[in-house]
Amino acid sequence: MKVPFWRQAAAIAGKDLRTEFRSGEVVMITVPFGAAALMLVPLAVGTDARLLADIGPGMYWSVVLLFGVLVTVRQSAVDGPAQADLLGLLGIDPAARFVGRVMATGVLLLIFESILAPVALALYDTDPSGWWWLLAVIPLVALGLALLGTLAAGIASSVASATLIPLIVVPLSVPMLLAATQVTEGLQIDATIVGWLLLLVVMDLLLAVAGVLSARTLQETTR
Amino acid sequence: MTSRRWLDLAAAGTLATALGAGLLVPPEQTQGDLARIIFVHVPAAWLAYLAFVVTLIGSVAYLVRRDMKWDRLAAASAEAGVFFTGLTIALGMIWGKSTWGVWWTWDARLVLTAVMFFVYLGYLALRRGIVDPDLRARRAAWLGILAVVQIPIVHFSVLWWRTLHQPPTLLRPDGMQMDAVFRGALVMSLVAFTVVYASLVARGVERQRLDAELAEAVASEEVEVAGAAITAPRYGEAN
Amino acid sequence: MLDTVVALRALGVRIGDSPILRDLDLDVVGGEAVGLIGGNGSGKTTLLRVIATLLVPSRGDGTVLGADLRDESRYEVRHRIGLIGHTPSLYPNLTLEENLAFVARMTGVATGRVGEVLDQVGLGLARGRSAAACSHGMQRRVEFARLMMTRPDLILLDEAHAGLDPQAGDLVAHLVAGVRERGGAAVVVSHEHRRIAPLVGRFVELRDGAITADARPRT
Repeated sequence: MKVPFWRQAAAIAGKDLRTEFRSGEVVMITVPFGAAALMLVPLAVGTDARLLADIGPGMYWSVVLLFGVLVTVRQSAVDGPAQADLLGLLGIDPAARFVGRVMATGVLLLIFESILAPVALALYDTDPSGWWWLLAVIPLVALGLALLGTLAAGIASSVASATLIPLIVVPLSVPMLLAATQVTEGLQIDATIVGWLLLLVVMDLLLAVAGVLSARTLQETTR
Repeated sequence: MTSRRWLDLAAAGTLATALGAGLLVPPEQTQGDLARIIFVHVPAAWLAYLAFVVTLIGSVAYLVRRDMKWDRLAAASAEAGVFFTGLTIALGMIWGKSTWGVWWTWDARLVLTAVMFFVYLGYLALRRGIVDPDLRARRAAWLGILAVVQIPIVHFSVLWWRTLHQPPTLLRPDGMQMDAVFRGALVMSLVAFTVVYASLVARGVERQRLDAELAEAVASEEVEVAGAAITAPRYGEAN
Repeated sequence: MLDTVVALRALGVRIGDSPILRDLDLDVVGGEAVGLIGGNGSGKTTLLRVIATLLVPSRGDGTVLGADLRDESRYEVRHRIGLIGHTPSLYPNLTLEENLAFVARMTGVATGRVGEVLDQVGLGLARGRSAAACSHGMQRRVEFARLMMTRPDLILLDEAHAGLDPQAGDLVAHLVAGVRERGGAAVVVSHEHRRIAPLVGRFVELRDGAITADARPRT
């Protein structure tokens, strides 16, 4: 019986999330790793309060991008060769598999960002003005990173992916980093931020289209 | 003589002429002899972008046609692109150090070129890691497309970021005092380097075609199957 | 009764620079079960993956369940193929029940069937155990349960009896008999020729990537 697209995607996402919550790797390992990185920088650059307040937003988003990519690497490792064969033979729409994986990774990244945000606020004592806009930025960055990471994982699967996925993701995530930091800093000085938010939306849309269009080709293997 | 050989000669000839012209034109009014660096830097930057676009064209054409010649074009262009992107960055850094005393200026174009350089490296690393030619072509094609789709967004965002942070007045080619002779030499350089790029890409495509032919010949019927390497176990005399 | 289920002509497979299969012809019709035998490295798993449409042949042609192995139509028949490879495909952090429920959701099978098939393979009491905590043999039983739930038209079993105790060995016979009755076909790879001889109508032997024998088993 043909299962509808969104039900397939939801089943994939549910499976990935259940697998991740059982292992607890994102919450128990990657989040503390990110928090440790946030703590390391003041030890290296000095603990001048003003300096730290200035670089706080940038540090937070840099850690989100650099360590968030580890979440996508981890997610890409959930399906080994035997699981990939199984998924292939279940007749799953490749685009549904992509969307499901993005949904799960996006949720994990949202958790990652949400836990690290108060850590960054505390360590860097950044002015949290206009923080409610972050309720828009944080999900947009989570989605964008999930889309980019899942695409990169599809491109790099079976090729030393633990190192190649970050190399593909990080340079192409520059617009996300700039948009996120500009929104955060802009809120502190009452600057206009709508343009940067639109940039995030456009980037997410383009990545979603690219991911859906490339899904079949990337999941096909001649191994 | 083959067309590739003519192209090589044309590249050598035009390059020698252009570089000669670049050395012979009078020094630029504001920067003096340092400005001669643009005769290599600007063409290298132009070719870094061109190589990216050609990689995109090859990637899309491969996915549509599934003809390996397009994949070879994409790959050869990316290899040339790495070279020209690296050259652009290196010369940009030398220029920056001489002009402002710093190696890196966070100029939007320099940052964008650095991003492109990393993306090219990722592209070549991906190709190196996949043995199967069809799989390699498919994956690389999608990375080529993804990269080019993202690059305008990267460019726009970095440029916008720089305008917000009010960069120092940069001495750019379009802001320099260029007379007709200087401009003429720059155009010659652009043409010459484009011919060099074409020559490099042609050689790269040919090299890959020969590699594929060699792999095809090696994989002929006369070669033993992989399973022939597995023989019955032989136990030692001690057993 | 289905007609031709598998038809391979002059099939060759090369992975990287290594030829694995060469010039292979094979036909399997509906209602038939074929035992595929051969030494290590003879190409049995590769042949199984080609038949499963997971590997595109480098040379030759073939159809599986009417779909050409080289074009897009192979995606349309994949859900009718059931493969049990020698590496378990269960998700280690999910329970046995959750693994099967996932398959049920993806294939439109009522999730109530999950409990039934787990009982049928003798794992009803272990349904809440995580796959990582189960032995290889238990995981294989779950894979059999998966095929009992999805009822594919073509069953491919790689190292059919690996890790199965004598009780569970009957599951192989049950699965093969079931698909034959439905008019489908089975290809069974096993080193235990005597165990599969009663189940299959013929043996096909692979050696050095080619078929060297194709005969009925001696009774």
